[in-house]
Amino acid sequence: MKKFRNLLFKEIRELVTVQLIVSLLFMMAIFYFIGGITKREAARAAGKQKVSILDLDGSSFSEKLVGGLQAMNFQVEKLKSASQDEALKTARAGDTNVLVVIPAGFGDAVAKFQTKDIETYTFLRNFSLMGARTSGILKAVITAINTYLSDDFLKRKIEGVDPENLKNPVKSRDFIIIKSRMAEGSAALIAGFVSSQSLIIPVILMMIIIYSSQMVISAIAMEKQNKTLETLLTVPIPRSSIVAAKMLAAGLIGLISAAIYMLGFKNYMSGVTGDMANAPGVAPVVQKLGLTLNANALLVLGVSLFFAILCALSMATILGVLAEDFRSAQSLIMPMIFMVMIPYFITLFTDLKSLSLPVKIFLLAIPFSHPFLATQNIFLENYKAVFFGIVYMAAFFAVMVVIASRIFSTDRVLTMKLRWRKKKVVF
Amino acid sequence: MGTVLKVEGLKKLFGTLEAVKGVSFEVEEGEIFALIGPNGAGKTTTLRVVATLLSASEGKVSVLGYDLKKDPEKIRERISYLPEEAGAYRNLKGMDYLKFMANFYGDTAEKIGQFLTRAQEIADLGGRLGDKVGTYSKGMVRKLLLARALMTRPALSILDEPTSGLDVINSLEVRAIIKRYAAEGISVLLSSHNMLEIEFLSDRVALIDKGRILDSGTPRGLKEKYQAENLESVFRSALR
Repeated sequence: MKKFRNLLFKEIRELVTVQLIVSLLFMMAIFYFIGGITKREAARAAGKQKVSILDLDGSSFSEKLVGGLQAMNFQVEKLKSASQDEALKTARAGDTNVLVVIPAGFGDAVAKFQTKDIETYTFLRNFSLMGARTSGILKAVITAINTYLSDDFLKRKIEGVDPENLKNPVKSRDFIIIKSRMAEGSAALIAGFVSSQSLIIPVILMMIIIYSSQMVISAIAMEKQNKTLETLLTVPIPRSSIVAAKMLAAGLIGLISAAIYMLGFKNYMSGVTGDMANAPGVAPVVQKLGLTLNANALLVLGVSLFFAILCALSMATILGVLAEDFRSAQSLIMPMIFMVMIPYFITLFTDLKSLSLPVKIFLLAIPFSHPFLATQNIFLENYKAVFFGIVYMAAFFAVMVVIASRIFSTDRVLTMKLRWRKKKVVF
Repeated sequence: MGTVLKVEGLKKLFGTLEAVKGVSFEVEEGEIFALIGPNGAGKTTTLRVVATLLSASEGKVSVLGYDLKKDPEKIRERISYLPEEAGAYRNLKGMDYLKFMANFYGDTAEKIGQFLTRAQEIADLGGRLGDKVGTYSKGMVRKLLLARALMTRPALSILDEPTSGLDVINSLEVRAIIKRYAAEGISVLLSSHNMLEIEFLSDRVALIDKGRILDSGTPRGLKEKYQAENLESVFRSALR
């Protein structure tokens, strides 16, 4: 145990370099910086939207319309300009994004139940995600004006009846069913919430797998490049301990690095998506439908993630042996990245059940598919599939460890390499 | 004096290539035994097999009675190996590297302390042991590695080109250290291209070419046998 600890500490010391710490701190700072900006922008977009109005009509109805917009949570700025050109100039110089021009004779036309064009001008001041959101203000303004006018028409024509009842005589009560659980709520809202929440799990997994695998491959390649592997293999410690120490050290550093990355990423994401859980009608529905991960579900998910990491580390150990130096190690990470990306994108865009049998088998044969599918399966009470995934990954890991240990206990650890020019493994 | 290393009919194949074709020799306690020969003769492969890095395709290798195939772990506890192009962990300080290696061989703090004291004396790097290995010159790394190989006083030290890449002064120092430790009872199996070095260091020499031992004996005995002035001439005559 003492020898193993000695080896493990050495591996950790080798991995924790100043470059690693600096890059982690830098990434954290970047995520927090971007997160802060997106949070501020999102808050601004969600707050009162400023709309400039040039009222060329000046009727009591146009006055009422402006009042109606204010009541509908718009910050209305009335321009005193004499002409449309002057108003455009003023609005362009200001910070408003929408200018609405109410033409002369608008009140008269409305009084006669006639339609009348109003002119709108949208100032696209940037093309960021948040900038695009502000262009939606126009749609909201037109909807608000139409709602106000149609309500006014109906009130005048049919007294004593709520205009809302006339416009939408059919009301729906929406129910969502998941297995045996049912709750009243918007399916679109809940589906959006769940997918935004479960998005973080594959991202965490992808980062840990790629990070840890790269560390293991590089650690072995560096031992070869720096000519330290031969010495290490002649010290009195079982070869399996050498493999285990490398895997454990990379796993630990990978987990810590991923946690740091994810803290930053979470901060960034909360800025982009906002606090969806607090949206009206989300939290109680999610609770009732069992779409939250309780302690047991988290444990099962954790076990699934853990075995996926073990699979990655054991595969990386074998790939590391194939590397001749640090440069070739960088190329050897590619198969691992593909093995993570393929199930990630397939599970993101399609349902496993809709896939053909060969594609399904191919997908399930990749060990990293199982943790990607685990969250969905837990929500859908499909525990059999989750446990199958865990058992499969455990078996996959065992086979990989046996192969890695055999390689390390034979000449192959020194003689096996990948020749890129001939594209074959030489033993 | 007992036999520390016994190699009998050692063969090593890499695919269809036979790198070592039935080599046999013995190394006694406190003896410096050298393998000399041209590049590709099979010297390093033989050393790597004895160091438990490669497995023997045929033949038998035993260290202090322990069989290489059955008890590689026991053998590793009793040997040290210095490869020709060895390096040390660049991110570790010289002293930390020695501590790391000493921890594999010492059970107690006292024993580890002894190893480190010895290593400091062999390496003779003074305060530079507190610096990272990445800042060392090639000569300093070689001395650090030699200190690592000898600090535990192994029963058998396997040194592949021990003075490889060293200047004259450093080479002389390294040879003196090897000689001193052999006199204290450590057996040494080494290989070198430098015939002068071999002549100075070795008690016995084996001439190896194309995976076969052509002849072996003391440097003096071989020179007399082949009526040659030095080992280079001996080797040339043996090849004929």
